[in-house]
Parts: sequence; C-alpha cells; structure tokens
Amino acid sequence: MAEKFDHLEEHLEKFVENIRQLGIIVSDFQPSSQAGLNQKLNFIVTGLQDIDKCRQQLHDISVPLEVFEYIDQGRNPQLYTKECLERALAKNEQVKGKIDTMKKFKSLLIQELSKVFPEDMAKYRSIRGEDHPPS
Amino acid sequence: MRGRGGARLRVGGGSRGSGRSSGGGSRAVDAMENFTALFGAQTEPPPPPPATLGFGPGKPPPPPPPPPGGGPGTVPPPAAAPAPPGADKAAAGCGPFYLMRELPGSTELTGSTNLITHYNLEHAYNKFCGKKVKEKLSNFLPDLPGMIDLPGSHDNSGLRSLIEKPPILGGSFNPITGTMLAGFRLHAGPLPEQCRLMHIQPPKKKNKHKHKQSRTQDPVPPETPSDSDHKKKKKKKEEDPERKRKKKEKKKKKNRHSPEHPGMGSSQASSSSSLR
Repeated sequence: MAEKFDHLEEHLEKFVENIRQLGIIVSDFQPSSQAGLNQKLNFIVTGLQDIDKCRQQLHDISVPLEVFEYIDQGRNPQLYTKECLERALAKNEQVKGKIDTMKKFKSLLIQELSKVFPEDMAKYRSIRGEDHPPS
Repeated sequence: MRGRGGARLRVGGGSRGSGRSSGGGSRAVDAMENFTALFGAQTEPPPPPPATLGFGPGKPPPPPPPPPGGGPGTVPPPAAAPAPPGADKAAAGCGPFYLMRELPGSTELTGSTNLITHYNLEHAYNKFCGKKVKEKLSNFLPDLPGMIDLPGSHDNSGLRSLIEKPPILGGSFNPITGTMLAGFRLHAGPLPEQCRLMHIQPPKKKNKHKHKQSRTQDPVPPETPSDSDHKKKKKKKEEDPERKRKKKEKKKKKNRHSPEHPGMGSSQASSSSSLR
C-alpha cells in the first residue's frame, strides 16, 4: 500500500526538481544552455508519463475535499487529520457517555421495577434470558 | 417527568387487566417515589396512577396508546390480526411486554468501544495530537519551491479548480521531437523581475542561537552614530548605577538571611524555619 505512495512521491519530487532546474535555466538563458533546456523539457514529458502511470495504481484512493481546501488556503493538511482524529475521539467519548448512562438507567429501572413488580420482572428476565437482575 | 413516567408505566403494564390494580398502583407510587429520590426531588408530588398501571391478570388488554413517533414495530398488532412479517420474535410470546424488542447484539461495534484503538489509530493520534502541528503548508512541504503558503485563489493555483474545471484527459504524453523543440528556442538574457516567481522563497525563521551570534558578529558602525543610539547608551549608563545599587541591596539581604550571619533576628529565624 505504502509503496504506491512512495512511487508517486518519488516521481513528483523528481518532477518538481526538474521544473525548478528548468526555471533556473530559463531565468537567465544563455544560448549555450539550449541543449540543457531541450533535455529538461523531455525529462518533464517523461516525468508526466511516470506520474500518469501511477494513476492506475491509485484509482481506489479517495481524498476528502476538505484537504484540498486546507492546501488551497496554504495550511498544513496534517491539521485536517489532527482535527478529524480529535473530532472522532470527542464524538466517541460522547456516545460512550450516553451508552453508559443508558445502561445505568436500565439497571436502575430493572432494579426498581423488580421491587414493585417482582413476578412480571421475573418473566421479563426469563424472556431476556437473564437469571439474575443486573446490579 | 410526571407525564413521562406515567406514560412509560402505562406502556409497560397496560396490557394486563386490573385484578391487582389497586395493589399494583400503590406499589407503582412507591416506585415513582424511588425514582424521584434517584433522579432528584420533584416540586410536585406524582399524581395518583391510573387504573391501568397494574399488571394484574384477568382483564383483556386495553388498546395501547399510539406511540408519539409512530415508528415501525412500536404499534402492537391486534390480537386477532396475524403478526406482521418481520415482527420481533419476542413480541409473540412475551406476555405483558408487548413493546419488547430484541436487544442489539453484543458483537455490534458501537461508541462504547474506543474506536481509535479498535482501528489501530493510536500511533496516528499520538503523532498528530500529541505534539503541535505547524500551521503552514511550507512546513509540510519544505522542499517545494515558491510561495506555497499564499492562498491558491491568489494566483489561481488552487486544487479546487481541478474539480470544478477538470483538465482535458485522454491524450498521451509524447516526447518532444527535434522539430518541435525548435519552438523552445529562447532569447538570451535574464527574465524580467515580475516573472521570477520561482525563485521567491518564504523567509525562513532563524534560530535564536544563530541570531545571537549574528548580533555579536555584526560590526558596530564606528562613525556617525545616530541620535537614538546616543540616547540608548545614555539610558544604559543611567540604569547601570541603579542596577548596581539594587544588586548590593540584594547581597546584603542574602547575607542577613544566611545562617552564618550573626545579626539575624529571632523573628526572621522563626519565619525561615516555618517556611522549611
């Protein structure tokens, strides 16, 4: 799984480096550097071909749109991951709290109902398959 | 609370007759009192329970009240009517508990388990939430040239535009042949300033240590010092005797507090001992 990303990352880094070198050649162009420019242009074409090949291996990867927003705003996309994890944990804790409270309520309700309606609650427990009232 | 409690009890016990209704009713009142004790005191006492509160046998079940939501499975089928397909198996032979449903399976994944641990994400959580993540994109991609911290809308380089206006795909990338390369012949000479965007790098923060070194290494201009420099120097000179005085006072105080000093008062000694 990680190999796919490593390949893509490698190709992208090479491509960016080629573009940077091309920019340097172009920014102060000398007639003698025409051959180097031609070579770089072809490197860029091969770089694009390599990146295009990676596309086939990554067709099943989906990226959240919010990540694009983070990048477009010049923000670190790891912040998105961080916020997602924090949100997930907070929601998890919240739901756990609700479930625990409901469990407590259930046990208390059964306990109190067993005092008032012992026969019916015994039936209830037999239906539920519980031998003993939950403490 | 009152209405809810009554409704719940009615829902739970309304299917039976009122043979034991009076006893059951009084016990239900007790139960309600217990609940109020458990969940906080009520300002109003609970109302006398209706006659249908009891679980006593012998009376045909009255029609249960319609549920507020009217959800599927909550309305009990009439006695004569056949059970609807998909009805809970417990509903068939559960006696008075006509609203009883099957409990969710214990194997079901719910929020009661730590989902971060369940999906083996502790490492990711510690990595991203344990330490502070730097805000800027250049911290994530430090080797990328150019001003990448600026918003994409600034220079129309946003990734969002890839989705909104997808590029034309389908063509293949072919190498540029000799005749095509003729189109890339450039004029000699540097590019104009406004086109040199590639070389602009965001200013990087220097280390504090380095900064100090550079300060010390910076040669002080020997000639023509500005007026402000003079003022600063004067201020320093003015502050220096004051500082010295303060330091002397501090030293004196320290000497007084030290155990070797003979002139230490008893009150001071007691205070110091109490601090210890």
